[in-house]
Amino acid sequence: MAFTITENCIGCMACSKKCPVMAIDGEKKKMHIINEKRCVACGVCQRICPKGAVLDSVGSAGERLPKSQWPKPKVNQSLCSACGICMDVCIFEAIKISYPKFNGDLKVFAYLDEPEHCVGCSQCEKMCPLQAIKMEVG
Amino acid sequence: MKAANYLYINLSDQRVKAFPIKQGALKKYLGGKILAAKLLYDLLPVGIDPLSEKSILIVNTGPMNNTGAPSSSRFNMTFKNVLTGGIASSNCGGQFGVMLKKAGVDGLIITGRAATPCSMAILDGEVIFQDATPLWGLDAEAVQEVFPKAFGKLVIGPAGENMVRYACAVSGERVAGRCGAGAVMGSKNLKALVAYGSKHTEVDNPEKYDAYVKKWVAFLKNHPLTGKALGLYGSAGLVNTANASSVLPTRNFNQGNWEKADDISGETLAETLLVRNSGCISCPIRCERRVKVNNKEVKGPEFETLGLFGSNIENNDLQLINDINYEADILGMDTISLAGTMAFAMELYEKGLADFRLRFGKTDNLIDVIRKIAHREKPYDELADGSMRLSEKYGGSDYAIHAKGLELASYEPRKSVGMGLGYATSNRGGCHLNGGYLALMESIGVMSVGQTNSEGKPELTVFLQNAMESASAAGFCLFTLQTMLPSVLFKLGPGHPLTGVAGKAMIASRPVLGHIWPLMPKALPFHSMFLLPHAKAVELAMGIPMTTGQFLEIGERGYNIERLFNLREGLTKEKDNLPKRLTDELQDPDDPNSRVDIKKMMPIYYTIRGWDENGVPTEKNLKRLGLTNDLRQI
Repeated sequence: MAFTITENCIGCMACSKKCPVMAIDGEKKKMHIINEKRCVACGVCQRICPKGAVLDSVGSAGERLPKSQWPKPKVNQSLCSACGICMDVCIFEAIKISYPKFNGDLKVFAYLDEPEHCVGCSQCEKMCPLQAIKMEVG
Repeated sequence: MKAANYLYINLSDQRVKAFPIKQGALKKYLGGKILAAKLLYDLLPVGIDPLSEKSILIVNTGPMNNTGAPSSSRFNMTFKNVLTGGIASSNCGGQFGVMLKKAGVDGLIITGRAATPCSMAILDGEVIFQDATPLWGLDAEAVQEVFPKAFGKLVIGPAGENMVRYACAVSGERVAGRCGAGAVMGSKNLKALVAYGSKHTEVDNPEKYDAYVKKWVAFLKNHPLTGKALGLYGSAGLVNTANASSVLPTRNFNQGNWEKADDISGETLAETLLVRNSGCISCPIRCERRVKVNNKEVKGPEFETLGLFGSNIENNDLQLINDINYEADILGMDTISLAGTMAFAMELYEKGLADFRLRFGKTDNLIDVIRKIAHREKPYDELADGSMRLSEKYGGSDYAIHAKGLELASYEPRKSVGMGLGYATSNRGGCHLNGGYLALMESIGVMSVGQTNSEGKPELTVFLQNAMESASAAGFCLFTLQTMLPSVLFKLGPGHPLTGVAGKAMIASRPVLGHIWPLMPKALPFHSMFLLPHAKAVELAMGIPMTTGQFLEIGERGYNIERLFNLREGLTKEKDNLPKRLTDELQDPDDPNSRVDIKKMMPIYYTIRGWDENGVPTEKNLKRLGLTNDLRQI
């Protein structure tokens, strides 16, 4: 399941900064390593690697993608129960539960608060028990 | 279903051993508090001081944690009770349990004592020890900020370090409050436990499971209690109803109502100081209050804190209760035992027995005293040992409001006598939840099975205690059980004749409830969204047959193991009692039934439990529950 990093790695640290489960370790300008116990195979590191140095579980290098083409979570507000699992799983704090609009408003839901922080790892989609989140590009 | 991955950790030499729990044991004991009670029974020698090196602390999860089921973030801490000397299980809704499971570990069995303060990180199943000397002395909020935000944390504050007997363990802003979990961690020099990982907990039948969770969440959202009232007012919404039914403790449980109750009610809180509501991870009920303390948004008080730091000490300053709640949390103390002990100290002064400069209605020194208790500054170190020990020194045991040594929660039982029976029989001491929480059906809910009559109360108490035991062990919040009161009753309202009939019907079910247990698990061979939706969820997640009857039997098994543990530690029949104020003094002089008639209810309770006249589980009962050969001291 886990991804691996090849010797093409230049130690730019881009992948370790964006890994949604803090699975990538390494010093600047040195080869990075993926903790296979923690890797969730989300592909974020592949999308961001400038050298194509990340291989997926079948050995494919994948493709670098500009940020505009990364998928983003779309929340179906009528399905969402505001249980907060998505918010808890997102270490970049991109997703939040909305504030009540008035005193006593119970109709709150998850929403993408910081699109810039989102890496499109789809962990929120995977964890949502009500399938209220779908990842979409654009 | 896979074997559960527990770790046995000795802090004295930092040795870590795998301690797998086989499928058979999981089927029989589920996890959480029931499995932990069995492990503690097996592993802890008799008569060990709960704060000694040899004592054992179990931190574990249930099968439902991290599966996405509603309100399933609750994890459990089991240890020898620092206040009662019996069993303790403390439950918490913080992120630690979910994160421990994500790290690939289901439970920790911790023994020994670190030579110097330490912290322990469980990262992807590996245990890493770190020196925590620089963290010693930090409050529970500050120490959590030291670790990465994404980690699940379980820490203690200064009260735990100083082994205040009712110190709690803190995870995020939620606490494992009761029985002194924080003191046990402090005695082991364990300042912090943190966990992180990314493992998803696989369920046996994902498709059916997801569909069931969806249905259950919709059911909770549509119920007037879990979908509306708890979100709007939280448990704080009980203040006004409790006051109207005379179960709001006032002046150290002298009375059951207070003319200023509305000042501290959930409704007033919602209109004035509430910022918004929130919830534990995975919970659609979202009963948590968010309020401001020193201009910072923090967790607000529960009903128990409002009653015990409000009416029970005659304090109607709601903001002060918010401040106290926050202060107690970061110092790491259980607000129920803390407030109960302080109210008792106030009464000691009134009776001329001791003076800790605490007075009913005097609020200016409360926070100062709380800080001194946490740091065990003299003379307040005596309050740090709880009201039972205080009464042993200064007298006043008739009005030291505790059961077995654990202070009672904020329900005055003389107008909720089944709750009184629950307090007296609860295995962990004076706890409303472990006691069965019959108050919900007697005095603070929409329908009533009668406030002061003892008919049917032992039967209902046993049923609720067993149901709550299983739900808790599986990893669910007990609020998910409140949908047992059908939503139609809320639509009709408490005054409607049909609501009255519902209460009477519940009492009338007494012959069934009284005789059903020997027939379990076959007695209830079905699933019901209304009665116990948890059973079906457990079945789909674990891949084992689990009818309502089987689920309840596991709860009964748990309650019996805890009882055996207590008996072994010397908590015998005599301790199944309440202070004289509640059993002998009438709350209402005109109502001869406004007291908890323990002597009448207890023999019936024992019979239904399958215990003999001394409250000892009979051989026959233990054989039926499959405990005869399964429990052993290792």
